[in-house]
Amino acid sequence: MSWMSELARRIRMLLHRRQFDIDLEEEMRLHLKFRQEQQMESGMTADAARLAAQRKFGNATRIREMSHTTWGWEWFESLLQDMSYGVRSMLRSPALTVVALLSLGLGIGANTAIFSLLDAVMLRSLPVKDPSQLVLLGKGDWNGISDAFAVTELYSYPFYREMQKRNEVFLDVAAIFSMSNNIHGTVEGRDEAEPMHIQLVSGTYFSALGINAIMGRALTDDDDNSEGDHPVAVISYTWWNRSLARDPSVLSKKLKVGDTTFNIIGVAPPEFFGTKVGQAPDIWIPLSMMKNVPPNWGGYKENFSESLYIMGRLKPGVNMEQATSNVNLLYQQILRGFPDAPLSQRNLEELKKTHVPLTPMTTGLSSLRRAFSEPLKILMAVVALVLLIACANIANLLLARSTARAREFAVRQALGARRMRLIRQLLTESLLLAAVGGVLGIGFASVASRLLLRMVSGGLEMVPLDLSINTRLLLFTLAITVITAVLFGTAPAFRATKLQLTDALKDGRGPQGTGAKSPLAKALVISQVALSLVLLVGAALFLRSLVNLMNVDTGFNKENVLRLQTDASSVGYKVDDPRLTALYQQIEERASALPGVRAASYSSFTFHEGSWNGYISVPGMNINHDINVEHNVVGNGYFATMQIPLVAGRTFGPQDTATSQRVAVISERMARTLFPKGNPIGHHYHIGDPNSIYDITVIGIVKDVKFGNLQEDPETLDYIPYTQRDQYLEDFEVRYTGDFSAISKAVQQAIHNVDRNLPITHVTTLDEQVGRSITNQRLVAQLAIFFGLLAVFLSCIGIYGLMSYIVSRRTNEIGIRMALGAARADVRWLVMREIVKLVGMGIAIGVPVTLAGNRLVSAMLFGLRGTDPVSLLASVIVLLLVALVAGYLPARRASQVDPIVALRYE
Amino acid sequence: MSRDEIPPGTLYLLILKTLALRGESHGYEIADSIQRTSDDVLQVEEGSLYPALQRMLIKGWVTSEWGTTAGNRRARYYKLTPLGRKQFTAEISQFERVIGAITRVIQTV
Repeated sequence: MSWMSELARRIRMLLHRRQFDIDLEEEMRLHLKFRQEQQMESGMTADAARLAAQRKFGNATRIREMSHTTWGWEWFESLLQDMSYGVRSMLRSPALTVVALLSLGLGIGANTAIFSLLDAVMLRSLPVKDPSQLVLLGKGDWNGISDAFAVTELYSYPFYREMQKRNEVFLDVAAIFSMSNNIHGTVEGRDEAEPMHIQLVSGTYFSALGINAIMGRALTDDDDNSEGDHPVAVISYTWWNRSLARDPSVLSKKLKVGDTTFNIIGVAPPEFFGTKVGQAPDIWIPLSMMKNVPPNWGGYKENFSESLYIMGRLKPGVNMEQATSNVNLLYQQILRGFPDAPLSQRNLEELKKTHVPLTPMTTGLSSLRRAFSEPLKILMAVVALVLLIACANIANLLLARSTARAREFAVRQALGARRMRLIRQLLTESLLLAAVGGVLGIGFASVASRLLLRMVSGGLEMVPLDLSINTRLLLFTLAITVITAVLFGTAPAFRATKLQLTDALKDGRGPQGTGAKSPLAKALVISQVALSLVLLVGAALFLRSLVNLMNVDTGFNKENVLRLQTDASSVGYKVDDPRLTALYQQIEERASALPGVRAASYSSFTFHEGSWNGYISVPGMNINHDINVEHNVVGNGYFATMQIPLVAGRTFGPQDTATSQRVAVISERMARTLFPKGNPIGHHYHIGDPNSIYDITVIGIVKDVKFGNLQEDPETLDYIPYTQRDQYLEDFEVRYTGDFSAISKAVQQAIHNVDRNLPITHVTTLDEQVGRSITNQRLVAQLAIFFGLLAVFLSCIGIYGLMSYIVSRRTNEIGIRMALGAARADVRWLVMREIVKLVGMGIAIGVPVTLAGNRLVSAMLFGLRGTDPVSLLASVIVLLLVALVAGYLPARRASQVDPIVALRYE
Repeated sequence: MSRDEIPPGTLYLLILKTLALRGESHGYEIADSIQRTSDDVLQVEEGSLYPALQRMLIKGWVTSEWGTTAGNRRARYYKLTPLGRKQFTAEISQFERVIGAITRVIQTV
C-alpha cells in the first residue's frame, strides 16, 4: 500500500521535524556556499558572489516554508501552537479557568453518568448472538405463577413444548422461569450455606441465545427432556470468580441445593448476565429440575401452571407479522387442545378475544426498565439543561475576557492575521477547555455512576449493571464535549474578532461602550435565569411529591418494626411438613418473649413485595373476575405487629388450626365491595371458583392498608392464618421498643436458637422497606434538587460575572455621575436595576416554559400537579433572592468608585 | 543569452533524469547539472529544487542520506528508488506525449 508507506514517512517527518528543519537549513547553506564559490571562481568579490548566489537561489524563507508545508503538517503545528497559546491564556486567568473547568466537569460528568445508566438500563443490546432476532411472547410485564386461563404474559411448560414443536417461524424456542430462585445452597465440601441466585431455564436457552460455555458445556435440550433426573448446572463467570476463586477444576465441583446435588457442567462467558437487565443469575439449572430447587416450584407437567417467559429466535426472512400470526394461531390451538382445558363459555369467549403480542428482546427483559425509564429520561433532560446553563456561563466569561483581549486581537489583525485564523485560535482554546472539562467529567462520572447505582439499588444488594466506561459512552462524552465547546465558544470567538480596529487600538476603555451594552451577554444571562427557573421548579415539584409520598398514611405503623427474611426452603423444610409451621410458631414465641419486643409474626408479604391474588366467589353475589383479592398468609400476631386496627370481629387465635374451619380476616374495602350489604362476619367465600377447596369464613374486618405501593387506592385484601395454608413464609416482622441493633441481634440469636442453620437475610426496618418502594421518586427528587441548586449557583456566577464586568466597563461613567453629585445609593440602584431587569426577564420567559415543561412530568408527581403554584412561587422567590445577592457585590463595588480615580483613567 | 523558465511540472522530470544519469547527488549538484546540461538555457530558481525534493521523498521516489563531498563537506545525497525509476519512465513517456502533441499543433500550417 503506497499511501500507507507515504503516511508512515510523513509521520516520521512529524516526529523528527526539528531535525528536518536543521537538515534543510544546512543543505541550503551548503548550496549557497557552493554557488558563491563558483561565482568567485569567475572573478566576483566574495560579497557580490554571495548576493548573486542568493539571487539565483530565490527567497530562502519561502522555500523553507514550502518545503515544510510539503509534508502537510502545518495544520497540526498551528494546532499545537494554538493549544500551547490556549494553555498559557488559560493560566493567565486562573479564576475563570477553574470556574469554567469545574462547571464543565460537573456538567459533562453528570451527563455521562446519567447516560451510562440510561445506556445500561435501556439501550444496550444483550451480549448474545444477533439479539435483534430474539422475540418474547407477551410483554414480559408479569412474574410469578398463574393458573388463569388465556393469559399471554406467562406460559406453562407443556405449552412451551407444544410451541417449540409446532411453530414454523422460530429457529429455536426457549423458556425462562419468570422468577429467580434466590436461595441458599452449599458448594460441596464446605460447611456454610451461601446465597445463590438460581435461574431455571429450558435446555434450549443457551443454544437459542447462541451462548457457548467458556469451560465445559452449556445446557442442552437433553438436560430438559425428563423431570427430576438431570442434576446439572451452568454457573456464571462472576460467580465462578467470586465464590470459587476461578478454581480451574470447577467442572468436578458439585453444588448441594435443597436435597439435590448438582454437577457443575459449564461456566458461562464473562459478559453474559442472562436475559434480564439488572438481574444476574449465579447459576442456571434446567427447568426439568424445578421441583428440586427450593422453594420447589411444581408445574413441569401441568398444562395450566403458567410461570414461564417464552422467547424465540426468528428464522431468517421471517418478519414480526408472520411470527405474530403463526404464534397466535398456535396459541389458540394449543390451549384448546389441552385435554384439561377449562373450556367454559366464558373462557372460550375470553380466549377468542386474546391476542399474544410479540416483543423484540434486543435489549433483554427488565423490571428495572419499567421503574426507571421515565425517571432516567427526565434526569437526562435535567442534566442536559444544567450543561446548557454551564455553557451559557462559560460563553459569558469568555465574552468578557475576549473584550478584555480586544487590544491583543486588534494588534494581531492589524499585523495581518486573518479573522478566520483568530477565530480558529479562539475555538481551539474553547475546545481545549472543553476537552479538559470532558476528562474531568469522565473522572467525575465514574464516581457518580457508582453513586447512582447505589441510589437505584435502594440500599439493597447492588443491582448488577455494568456501568464501566465503554466505547459508546466515550463517544457520547466526546460528542457533548465538542458540542459544548461549539456552543460556548462560537459566539465569543466571532464577537471578539469583529472589531473596529481604530477604537480598540486607542487605549483601553474608549468611549466605545459596546461592551457595556453587550446584548449577547445579557441574553445569555436571561436564558440562564429562565433555565434555572425550569430546573428549580422541577426540583420543588419532585421534592413536594416525595414529601407527599412519605407522608402517605400506610394504614399500618411503619415505625419501630424490625423486618427480616428467613429461608426455610433451603435447609430441608418441606412445604407440607408440620415442622414448618412449628418452626414459625417457635420463632414467633421466642422473639415475642425477648425484652423490648411487643409482638412478632411471620407473613408471606408486608409491603411492596408482589402478591398472591385472584378472584373470589361469594355466595349471593355475582363473581367479578376483574376484582383481584390479594391474599396475605400471616401469623396470629401479624395485626398486633403491624398495628393494623381491627374494625369488627376478631383476629386469629390458637383456636384456628389446620383442622378447624378455614377463616380469614378481610379489609374494609373487601368487605364493602365484595360482600352483600350487612355484616360480612360469619359470611363464607371461596378463593377462585365456588367449588374450590378454600371455603373460608370471615371472622374479622381490619382497616385498609397500603399493600403494593404508596400511590395505590386501598386494595381488596384478605389475611389467612398460616396454620391453615402450607406455604413457605419468608418475612418475619418484630415490633420493638428501644435500640434497633440490640433487638436485631437478639432476634437473630433467637431464630438461630430455634434452628441454627436457618439463613437470615435482608435485615432492615419496615420504614426502610416502605421507603424502598419510592426509590425512583427519591432518586429523581434528590438529583433534581442537586441539579436545580447547581443551576441556580451557575446562574449566580453568570450574573455576578456579567455585572462585575459591566461595572468595570462603566467605571468612568459612574465616576462622572458621582462627580456630578449622584449618591452612592443611586449608583447602587443603577446597577441593581440592571440585575432586576435581567432576572425579571428571565423569570418572565421561564414561567411559561416551566408550565409547558412540567406538564410532561405530571404523571410522575403524587398529590400535586405540574402547575403547582406553591412550587412556582417558591422557586421564583428563591431565584430572585439569590440573584440579588449575587448582584449586590458588584453594585456595592460600583458605589464605592472614587470619582477622581475613575476619571483619571480617561 | 536568454534564460528560460522551465515549463511547470517538468522539474520532477529534470530531477529524476539527473539522478538517473548521475546516480547519487546532492542538491547543488542536481541544480548545477540541470543548468550545464541545458547549456544554461533552463534556469531553475535553484531553491525551488528543495520543496520538489521533499515532495519526492514523501512519494518515495528518492531517498536521502548524509555523506561527504570531495571537498570533505557534509552534504545530503539523493538517490533514486526503484519506484522513482518507474516514475521516471512514466514521466518521460507522458512528457513526450504532451510535447509531441504540442509540436504537432504548432507545426500545423
